[in-house]
Amino acid sequence: MRRWHRFSVPLGAVALVFAVTGVAYAVNEPDPSDPAFLSPVSADGIGGQRLAQALAARGVQVERETRTSDALVSAQEGDATLFVPVPRVVHPDYLAMLRLLPPSTRIVLVDPARQALDDASIPLTPRGRRWAARAVPPGCAVREARSAGPAAALRQRYEGEGVHCYGTGLVHLSWQRADVVVIGASDPFRNDRIGEHGNSALATGLLADHPRVVWLDLHKLEPPPGVTDEPGSPDGVPPSLGTDPRGGSGDGEGEGEGDGSRGGEGDGTGSDGSSSGGSTGSSASNVDDENPLWDAFPPWFWALLVQLALAVVLVALWRARRLGPPVTEPLPVTVRSAETVYGRGRLYRRAKARGPTADILRAAARDRLAQLLTPTPGVSLVDAVAAATGRDPEQIEGLLDGPTPESDEELRRLQSDLDALVEAVRRAR
Amino acid sequence: MVTGRATLLLVLSAATLPLWPSPWLGLAVFAGAVLVLSAVDFMLAAPLRDIELTRDGARTVRSGETATVSLRVANRSPRVLQADLRDAWVPSAGATPSLHKVVVEPGSAVTLETSLTPTRRGDRPAVRLTLRSYGPLRLAFRQRAGRPATPQWTLRVLPRFDSRRFLPEKTARLRTLEGSTVTRGRGQGTEFDALREYVIGDDVRSIDWRASARRSDVLVRTWRPERDRRVVCVLDTGRTSAVLAGAEPRLDAAIDAALLLAALALRAGDQVDLLAVDTAVRATVSGGRHVLLPRLVNALAPLQPSLVETDFELVVGEVLRRERKRALVVLFTALEPGALGDGLLPVLPRLASRHKVLVAAVHDPLLAEARGDPYLAAAALRSLGERDRVRSALTRHGVEVLDAPVDTFASRVADTYLALKQAGKL
Repeated sequence: MRRWHRFSVPLGAVALVFAVTGVAYAVNEPDPSDPAFLSPVSADGIGGQRLAQALAARGVQVERETRTSDALVSAQEGDATLFVPVPRVVHPDYLAMLRLLPPSTRIVLVDPARQALDDASIPLTPRGRRWAARAVPPGCAVREARSAGPAAALRQRYEGEGVHCYGTGLVHLSWQRADVVVIGASDPFRNDRIGEHGNSALATGLLADHPRVVWLDLHKLEPPPGVTDEPGSPDGVPPSLGTDPRGGSGDGEGEGEGDGSRGGEGDGTGSDGSSSGGSTGSSASNVDDENPLWDAFPPWFWALLVQLALAVVLVALWRARRLGPPVTEPLPVTVRSAETVYGRGRLYRRAKARGPTADILRAAARDRLAQLLTPTPGVSLVDAVAAATGRDPEQIEGLLDGPTPESDEELRRLQSDLDALVEAVRRAR
Repeated sequence: MVTGRATLLLVLSAATLPLWPSPWLGLAVFAGAVLVLSAVDFMLAAPLRDIELTRDGARTVRSGETATVSLRVANRSPRVLQADLRDAWVPSAGATPSLHKVVVEPGSAVTLETSLTPTRRGDRPAVRLTLRSYGPLRLAFRQRAGRPATPQWTLRVLPRFDSRRFLPEKTARLRTLEGSTVTRGRGQGTEFDALREYVIGDDVRSIDWRASARRSDVLVRTWRPERDRRVVCVLDTGRTSAVLAGAEPRLDAAIDAALLLAALALRAGDQVDLLAVDTAVRATVSGGRHVLLPRLVNALAPLQPSLVETDFELVVGEVLRRERKRALVVLFTALEPGALGDGLLPVLPRLASRHKVLVAAVHDPLLAEARGDPYLAAAALRSLGERDRVRSALTRHGVEVLDAPVDTFASRVADTYLALKQAGKL
């Protein structure tokens, strides 16, 4: 028990330190699904209001969009920056549409995961991830980074094409036709960190390249877009976007642009898009109203199930009542015979007490021999034994009063030799 | 409460649900029907408070034998009693059967028999009786804890007294000692019995010259062993008595030997007292020459070893308080240096100065496999050495010590008693 404690106490302390650290880290880590996370209207520590104000101060128009379709439609007009703080929640189909944006639109993705990058087919792969963001000098030729100086941009590292800044924490690449910036840390954009290092300059620099910022303030997974790959649809615009039934009811900022794009979409696709959108919408409302499982089986099946459930309840009632509780009885005390002898023998063995064991065996043999030979005064026991058995007195002396055995084997030999000697004397008389 | 039949009814009726135009209605009908039927059945079951239970039968049984205890179930209610009855005894009572099925007509009674084969000595109580009264359809039953009240019964399991088989032989030796069976030779002993005429073959040393001078004949004195001596059996029920000697604890061997000794001493005309002590007096029997053996057996039956150190000061105090006259005190214990050396030896002189003391101990059966292993052999030899030291320490106080294996223990105790009697040391 003691020995166990000696290891468990320090190990437990170390485990406790790890656990406390882990919990504290998890608490501190911003949760991207929090509605306040990098939201242009949130004044929380993890919000992005200060960044939005800084952008407005530089004369950049900030459009907050809460649906990806609206944001894409808005960004489609060109000469804008599409800022996606949480790429994880954007539906893969929308991510795939990113490449359809015009070259005059810059896309800024914050900490995209491998899946998001793959879905958007951006040729980058995440490599190592740091425990927290670190402020490093830019070390690259990107204009915004150079003017910002050191900033807390190194957290998730990326590998692939493009210009790598801040120790690969920020990658700027012209991909397809678009201008894409991938940054692995959210710190430069957050209210509580934007004042540190060159964070503010970096964030505003990245987003103020164009007169408009389309800020996708999205924190929950969205339903997929109702895409119809109509051959006649004009290139560049996903046909469903303009005709999404809920498209027009969005926030005020996105409304004007949304309407405009819908108008330019063309007549042929409008009806198709609305029909597909409508069908998905109605099926979704069906799901909410009634589970189709009810109709999958006849009513008697459900009644049968309920009746069998009642039967199970009856079985429980029937079996739960026992015919009186079990009867207990104190057991009599018993102690195994020769318990102390066994215990002592095991103690001798564990302590490797060959000396005391040999002494006891020899003393017992001497007693036994003395009883057998009835010693005469003046004659030593060894001589008497030698006389009785005709053995060498020195050998007998060695047996009865020799050195301590060095191994269990020797001890066993001593025991059998003593037994043989006593036996020989007994037979000689 | 419902039975399995109600469940079965519900399950079977569920199979007809597909045939109903409205299965939910069918469900309601079936569930309601089962519920109502069960409720009616419950109402019609014989009420528990009108059932009377009484027990009768054996109060005692010798260990290893079978006794029968009967249970009378009287139905005072106007309804037929259909019931399951569980008669729960403690597991060591070996009660069979444990579950009775009874049907009792109104106003009549039925007697059930439970046979008990106890596995252990002592008091074996009937713990609980549970009655489950079914309705006529057996869909539901009434059952309630403590109703009807459990009739109390305790079966006392007496010690086996295996050493009875030695009794005829020992008694014969006693008779020889007294001189009543062997015609040749006179009784030995130290107590004067009678004067009679000299016949050829008598020991000339026993001629009473003074009496012969008063008469014309030569008279010899005859002797007999002392009578009306007192024997006190003291049983140590402390921790050392819990050690198994063979299949049973040492205490059982001591009880066996004490019973043989008491039976023999009673035939020899001595008085037997008994004490069982560990940290308190557990059993005591004294005086009374006529019904003594059954009383002894009864007193010894519930004794159990307890894991405490025996208080030998209490033992000596009790013996000295009870026995004013000189007596033979037979102390059934174990030759263990820890228990005897620290407990008994300091107080032994007080006891030995007033009474003749015999310490009777059952061997710890020595290890057969101890020969092979030197460590075990050394431990066994050391235990033997300690035992010898205790024995010699006791002998120095003038105490007789008997140390015997369990199979001959009772016989050896009786022999020692006879030898002491013959030597007139009582």
